[in-house]
Amino acid sequence: MINMPNQLTDINVSATKMFIFFSQLMDKPVLDKTGKIIGEIYDLTVKSSQVYPLSDALIIRKGFPNRKYAMVNWADIEKIDKEGAQLKIEKSVLSFRQIHDEKKEFTLRRDILDQQVVDTHNHKVIRVNDIQLLVVDHALMIAHVDIGSRGLLRRLGFEKIIDSIVKLFNPQAKYLKVEHLISWKHIQPLTINPVSMTIKIDLPQKNLASIPAADLGDIFLDLNINHQIALFKSLNLINKTKIFTNIDFKTQASLLDEMNDSEISELLNNVPSDEATDFLEKLPREKIKRVLNLIENKYSKRLSQLLGYSSDSAGGLMTTEYIAFTKDTLVQTVLDQIRERKFKSEPVQFIYIIDEVQHLISSTNFRRLILAAPNEPIANFAFPKTYFVHLDSSVKEVAYLMEKYKYFAIPVVDDNNVLQGIITVDDILSQLIAFAWRRLKRIKIMQKS
Amino acid sequence: MKNLKTFWAKIIIFLSVMGPGIITANVDNDAGGITTYSVAGAHFGYALIWSFIPIIIALVIIQEMCSRMAVVTGKGLADLIREEFGVRVTFYAMTVLVLSNIFNTISEFAGIAASAELFGISKYLLVPVCALFVWWLIVKGTYKSVEKVFLVACLFYVCYIVSGFLSKPDWNLIAKSSIHPSFQFDKAYIFMLIGVVGTTIAPWMQFYQQSSVVEKGIKLENYKYSRLDVIIGAFVVNIIAIFIIIVCANTLFANGIRVETAKDAALALKPLAGQYCFYLFAFGLLNASIFSACILPLSSAYSVCEGMGWEIGVNRTFKEAPQFYSLYTAIIVIGAAVILIPGVKLVPIMLISQATNGILLPFVLIFMLLLVNNKRLMGKYTNSKFYNFCAILIIMAMILLSLFLFFTVFIK
Repeated sequence: MINMPNQLTDINVSATKMFIFFSQLMDKPVLDKTGKIIGEIYDLTVKSSQVYPLSDALIIRKGFPNRKYAMVNWADIEKIDKEGAQLKIEKSVLSFRQIHDEKKEFTLRRDILDQQVVDTHNHKVIRVNDIQLLVVDHALMIAHVDIGSRGLLRRLGFEKIIDSIVKLFNPQAKYLKVEHLISWKHIQPLTINPVSMTIKIDLPQKNLASIPAADLGDIFLDLNINHQIALFKSLNLINKTKIFTNIDFKTQASLLDEMNDSEISELLNNVPSDEATDFLEKLPREKIKRVLNLIENKYSKRLSQLLGYSSDSAGGLMTTEYIAFTKDTLVQTVLDQIRERKFKSEPVQFIYIIDEVQHLISSTNFRRLILAAPNEPIANFAFPKTYFVHLDSSVKEVAYLMEKYKYFAIPVVDDNNVLQGIITVDDILSQLIAFAWRRLKRIKIMQKS
Repeated sequence: MKNLKTFWAKIIIFLSVMGPGIITANVDNDAGGITTYSVAGAHFGYALIWSFIPIIIALVIIQEMCSRMAVVTGKGLADLIREEFGVRVTFYAMTVLVLSNIFNTISEFAGIAASAELFGISKYLLVPVCALFVWWLIVKGTYKSVEKVFLVACLFYVCYIVSGFLSKPDWNLIAKSSIHPSFQFDKAYIFMLIGVVGTTIAPWMQFYQQSSVVEKGIKLENYKYSRLDVIIGAFVVNIIAIFIIIVCANTLFANGIRVETAKDAALALKPLAGQYCFYLFAFGLLNASIFSACILPLSSAYSVCEGMGWEIGVNRTFKEAPQFYSLYTAIIVIGAAVILIPGVKLVPIMLISQATNGILLPFVLIFMLLLVNNKRLMGKYTNSKFYNFCAILIIMAMILLSLFLFFTVFIK
């Protein structure tokens, strides 16, 4: 069931204000000052001064089959309603032309009606069946988009017939009461700017950023490839990284093809190392080399080392982003550094204690440090024992240890006990889910036979 | 050495892009197609083989435009029609498409029923089993796995080529009659010709092919491989059609046997060309019918949901994409149920299916031509002048044939 948020709540509806659907205006006659019919309503352009864009100009169409179009400023319109539009000016002032597409403005018919848009509240890609406009002091304001079956029927001209049939059988029908309207403030249009090839954001940028990463990835996969590329290019680096780590390899690869070298390096420098290796190891060998060359030297060295490990061993699963300090570091210093440094990945709850040459000594967690006296060395608050795995440990071993000691993250060391990275619970979980899934299937097949 | 390497790289890219064109073309040789070709071969011998050369060209040109639109815009044909021509046009086009596909699906299940009888199995058993299989394949499958099954089904069409060779045809005569158009101004001949063309170019094909290219996510740089896929598909499908004609011409026409259905043709083959030829022919019919019974409902559900803006299934659950699954299931259920009605007459069903195809095809082709030449959508990938000339010529020919077919259905 679609959730209808905030309908009308933030638009103040008074008695003089009323709603009208764009489909009720479309193709209605346009009269000039003298009352002569000069064409029909074709489209509206809108300007985006606020969350809800206001109508800016009217596009009139005339003639068939040789169609011509003219633009009229909103100030030159006497009135506009379900009957049609009346202009303040005469026909001779208008210049009708063959093309109406050249204009870069945002228009309802071309850019929104019947097009796909993102519903940022319900996190889905939807198709717009109709647009509900609010009459505000002579102008029209986009209030809602209609995505329901009634919108479809209205466009087809069957709304009244179907309504009366439904009423006949069931006057209380849900169909008559529930409107599938979505507030414009949750709508992100997907019109592609023909010049920059990014999503047009001349309308206020919608809160794509507030969508959880996994949902954003799902929305993204619902779009066609051109929209994917355009939307991706329109996003900031944080959202780019969010999306990139939440989509399948095929889409990742096709996005990479569309980016130039500096964009690739910027993006991959920001993707956590475990996600980056997951992606890189699926690329062809020459391409890996090319991409690694684009990444910061230090980071690419780390990545190429990670790529050397088998993907189902601890080495292949681990991320190299972790927090480690020597045993004499004061608690206060640690806390300050955590505050200051922007850590690339999530696992900040564990702090590892190492010696000068990176040997793992023990570990502590964030909780312990917060409760500790700030001017004591962290070693005083370490766990009595820290369990770890080796680079070549299997997924099963890792999972077993993490479950046994209730770890959110487990350190990985090499043969000389040097700390190499950590494995977080989400990495292990996705491995286990895949494993369990295969098992489940096999069991099902066995039960059947 | 390097050349060899790039050659293999190209082959691998082609294999990854291959599918939509070949599958769409092969579904074309469905139960209705096989019937038409069998009858054409039995009644007119080799006299219609020449028509496959222009058919191949027309098929390549039309399907190539779909493929190109899919790769450039990333949208299905129904999507584009909705976005450019509005909801009303889309709604009526989709209604006719669904109607025509329902009747087509009925005739696929008729093909399954016919092959059941040929193998001596009760149709009351085989038809429900096949319907269930077809339904299960899509509901439980993913695009990738389904495509693999379809490509395997394409391989089974080899049956017809083998049975063609088994019938020991006269290759010289075939070569001659494919180069020399032997047009006969005879009513039956012209009807047959229209039937052959009409069954080879149907409106659902454009919708299906474009959607499946989009689904595959083929990139612009690999477009040339996608075009190759279309060309190979068009050749393969028509070569198989020619072989069906050859089998029937060689045995039935030569002995003056007249048939009205693919089942009659298979039965008549048994004493003339031997048991193996009969089984191959019958198995080919079964394979083609099941294969097409999968794709037609799927294609309808895809197109309608694209156009109306409903969620598209395959990778979604019933609850997430209710319209998609309802439509898909309904078409299969109707298709199978109608065939199981005792004493149902198939000829009117075939005629209605041809008539609805005939109404829709001109519109679809005109929409396609407008869309593919729209600079805003296609950028520099619009048709060239020469290509447009050919396309318009073909479209006009198709419109004339469709109108003709449409009127004759009702005059008869």
